Amino acid sequence: MIFTAVAAVLAGTVLACFLSILPGLHIYNVMGLAALFLYSLQGSGVAAMPEVYIPFMLGLVTGWSVLNTIPSVLLGAPDESAVFTVLPGQKYLMTGRGYEGTMMIGAGSLAGLFILVFLIGPFAPKFLPIVRYVLTPHMHWILWVIILFMLMTEWPKNGNWGPAGWRKFFAAWSTLGAGLLTFFLSGLLGFLLLYRPPVSVDNAFQNIMPAFVGLFAVPWCLLNAVSGTEVPKQYIRDTLNINGDLLLRSGIAGGIGGGFAAFLPVVTGGIGGLLAGHATAQRDERVFMMSQGVSKVVYYVGALMLFFVPGLYLTRGGGAWIIKGLYTPHTRGDYCLALGSIALSGAVSFLLLSPLTRWTLKLMGKVDYRHISVFSLGIIVALVFSITGRPGLFIMTVSTGIGLIPVLFGSRRLNCLGVLLLPIACNMSGIGEPVAAFLGLL
Amino acid sequence: MKGIAHFISGATVASFCPWAVEAAQNGNPAFFILGAAAGILPDTLDFKFYRFFYRYDVSVYPDPEKLDPQPVADAVAAAVSEAAATGGPVRVKLSTIKLSADNWRQYRVRIDPDAGEVRAQFGPVVSTGQAPQPGTLPASRPAAVAKFSAPVRQSYEPVYTVDIFDGPGFLFKRNGAGEVEIDFLPWHRSWSHSFTVASLLAGLASLWTWEAGLVVFGAYAAHIIEDQMGYMGTNLFFPFTKKRTAGLKLMHSGDAFPNFTCVWLCGLLIFWNIYAAIPEPLYHFSFMRFMTYALIIPFAVFGAVRRFLVRAGNGRPESGAVKWDI
Repeated sequence: MIFTAVAAVLAGTVLACFLSILPGLHIYNVMGLAALFLYSLQGSGVAAMPEVYIPFMLGLVTGWSVLNTIPSVLLGAPDESAVFTVLPGQKYLMTGRGYEGTMMIGAGSLAGLFILVFLIGPFAPKFLPIVRYVLTPHMHWILWVIILFMLMTEWPKNGNWGPAGWRKFFAAWSTLGAGLLTFFLSGLLGFLLLYRPPVSVDNAFQNIMPAFVGLFAVPWCLLNAVSGTEVPKQYIRDTLNINGDLLLRSGIAGGIGGGFAAFLPVVTGGIGGLLAGHATAQRDERVFMMSQGVSKVVYYVGALMLFFVPGLYLTRGGGAWIIKGLYTPHTRGDYCLALGSIALSGAVSFLLLSPLTRWTLKLMGKVDYRHISVFSLGIIVALVFSITGRPGLFIMTVSTGIGLIPVLFGSRRLNCLGVLLLPIACNMSGIGEPVAAFLGLL
Repeated sequence: MKGIAHFISGATVASFCPWAVEAAQNGNPAFFILGAAAGILPDTLDFKFYRFFYRYDVSVYPDPEKLDPQPVADAVAAAVSEAAATGGPVRVKLSTIKLSADNWRQYRVRIDPDAGEVRAQFGPVVSTGQAPQPGTLPASRPAAVAKFSAPVRQSYEPVYTVDIFDGPGFLFKRNGAGEVEIDFLPWHRSWSHSFTVASLLAGLASLWTWEAGLVVFGAYAAHIIEDQMGYMGTNLFFPFTKKRTAGLKLMHSGDAFPNFTCVWLCGLLIFWNIYAAIPEPLYHFSFMRFMTYALIIPFAVFGAVRRFLVRAGNGRPESGAVKWDI
């Protein structure tokens, strides 16, 4: 049985290798398709063993969360959780150090896996049920306070020069206003998707996918395609300019941010990264990049791991919800299987990171960066259309319009998360339906 | 302190109010939102409103192509001399040098009262995270010197770094003893960081309920008290006090450790307060036990591991320090 589980983990990890290179494709969508396949198997009388598909799915998520650093840094097309790595990552790329930047974030991911398996793993069954018990009635205000923090800490990027007065004030508030506009438009879109979902009921679990693709992935691809960026020659270094102290600080920053995001509902890895960056006040760029690698892995893999923690069985993140439809963990053995799968998949993915990065760089040396972006955009559009049809394409187009606001005005792209945060926070506070009624959605 | 520390401090103040916790348990987040917002509000008022309307007499714009520090030093020294001669006030702004979306040229200015001179020097290109970029120091980095002939009283630190977003401003004014006082960032931590404004806003919030007023005052006051731990201080009772009261100089506002400790401690206090409000909790633990597990042991382990790692390295925490000759 153990060999079957190992083979399933490795299969999931290897599949994640290919999927992670495709910008815009979220692993939860792939898991959703896998779940549909399993349902159809069950429907035809073939029962898949959980000892096979659970390690497989854990391998998918772990492998993807480590390896999707590659498109984030090299192709400038991150998913939401990696949004903060793009700017420093692109700087590394533009100075010929794309490989170094990718591996640095990868080192952070490895630290994140260590934190999950060896630090959180043994203590989670004892402490996390208590944390959940105390915090559950207070999740709604925590969510509101996080929204407030996101909105109040957007920094005015303009208005730094010139004489004092209204002109300077409005220049500064152009970015802040764009941030607020992005958040509220995304929030309205979220209400629409929640109360009047245009995507058919059969694909309801993919409802949010075209919105996320439009808000985050498409603007990056468009920007890269029109920017005319020439990627300079890339150099491969054998060593990274990091040490244990930097890794420790990154681990703490990213571990807290990612852990917070994994534990709280709706809070995503991007928000975890934002909070981690602020809370630990790290100015070293290497610490920042590695901490984002930690945060990303702790968020994605940790959220799934929490589903297996004995006494907790917390359903957080799309991955856990998809598995919940197939299987409910109930033993310590399930937890050990999950931890073992994460450890194995994490180790293999980290080992694959270097060759895959080199391969991607080689590809980028042969194919124009803009062509890769256009090709990526084509894949994204095809995926959205194949999964959600024309309504999905329409949602993606509208979302792209909103997602381009922060690109054009230089405001924080994380404000696009209003699509989830605003409707869910309203619902948790019991005002979701009145707001939806006010908007004419009921 | 950093914004997040003030923000969570405000939420922590709310968590100490039984009515706030009770309301939250019943689905009303208003008191916690008010607390968190009031906690960060003093800085919001300064950085997002007031500073754009603060007028300077002299603005220094260094040429990014020709990195000559002399005009910078000259402008500051001239302002000191003018304030000494006329009584002031003379307001000077040192502008930042933006090179690209995420790159800024850093420079430093030292006002040395003992030597009676201002020194300035250009440094590396830094990212918006203020991290120096490798290989960006100018080939030639002369330190410019400009003399002034007036006694100067520093209320902040002698060296000022100019790098990202908005550059620092100074107000030079002669005091009763004939010294020129340097007021660093004169628009910051003045009226907005006062208990008077805290009371005013609390009064406004009290129009809703007195409980809201108390939360707002507590959160706003917590911000002022936290800032008082630093160097710059705050103008505690504006308009009754005209100047900032010097800080306790226990920390710098951007220091990682005190900021993180504050955020972590506040998180724990909030957790404890909402746990303590549960009528018949399923789990039982004391405050001391909770703090031991959640604060003392993790920090002790972190300290020990970091010490080991730093020793295993070269014995010093790594920093991208640049050598300055001013």
